[in-house]
Amino acid sequence: MKFAVVVFPGSNCDHDAYHVAKHVLGAEAEFVWHKDTSLGGADVVVLPGGFAHGDYLRTGAIARFSPVMQEVKRFAAAGGPVIGICNGFQVLLESGLLPGAMLRNRSLQYQCEHVFVKVEQTDTPFTLACRPGQVLRIPIAHGEGNYYAEPEVVARLEQNRQVVFRYTTAAGEPAPEANPNGSVNNIAGLCNESRNVVGLMPHPERACELALGSADGLVVFESVVKAVAEGEMSVRR
Amino acid sequence: MRARVFVTLKPSVFDPQGTTVTEALHALGFDAVRDVRQGKYFELDVDAASVEQARRIVSEAADKLLANPVIESYRVELEERAAQPAGAPRHPAAVAEATK
Repeated sequence: MKFAVVVFPGSNCDHDAYHVAKHVLGAEAEFVWHKDTSLGGADVVVLPGGFAHGDYLRTGAIARFSPVMQEVKRFAAAGGPVIGICNGFQVLLESGLLPGAMLRNRSLQYQCEHVFVKVEQTDTPFTLACRPGQVLRIPIAHGEGNYYAEPEVVARLEQNRQVVFRYTTAAGEPAPEANPNGSVNNIAGLCNESRNVVGLMPHPERACELALGSADGLVVFESVVKAVAEGEMSVRR
Repeated sequence: MRARVFVTLKPSVFDPQGTTVTEALHALGFDAVRDVRQGKYFELDVDAASVEQARRIVSEAADKLLANPVIESYRVELEERAAQPAGAPRHPAAVAEATK
């Protein structure tokens, strides 16, 4: 069971993800430089948070062309589990692995706080160990997390049950006041149609140990360990 | 060939920065300003044999990188430049526009 954590110039949550995989879960983990052309035989790929290429032009717009992204696309097309967290989610959007785009937060402020996120779907490799409707308390830290897609795209996402995480109150209500950035339909995270690629703005990797104020994010990583162990996500290599 | 690319959010997309600038202008007394949409502006120096070729190259660059078609649209302006020493006055032999 091996995690590949992709490192772009400007990634800054790569070590958090590596720490969770290696030291909290006891799995193998390896950093993969963005210019690498191999994922090193990993079972899971993490695109971490940060400011890849300084967020120049648009968040994720340059990272999308990094050589490793060709491998990530191949891995995803073969059914391999890929998670993009925060900036990693923005990279997935820019690269077309997930639909939609990010706008500046409605507040125009960099929002850095713990929020409540409801797990809407448990049939993805990153949520299968969650209870249906489980509410996680995990942090966000972003300036551009205001998810946008054309209304017909959003309708299709809802119909296909591709909205995996939604900003809610502690009780799991998707209220406007629980929406930290203005995302359409309180969307915090999505999956692709084949459900193996997941992106979310909140940071589960920063909430995997009680010493950090919450361990609610751990279930995301435990889920994918379980998914790989059960062989549901075996990738032909 | 000099190309200018103007990238703006699509009209249907909410522009939080433009809205904030509008509010700031109103606070300063610019009540005549009804709305502001903020965008990006690029100047490209392009090697191309014709305006048409330059437009093709620049439009492809905008489609692939400069604009995100999910939220943004762009407009291209082209200006043919004769080979002149730097600083010499330019004669815009042809100005062409394309909008997408």
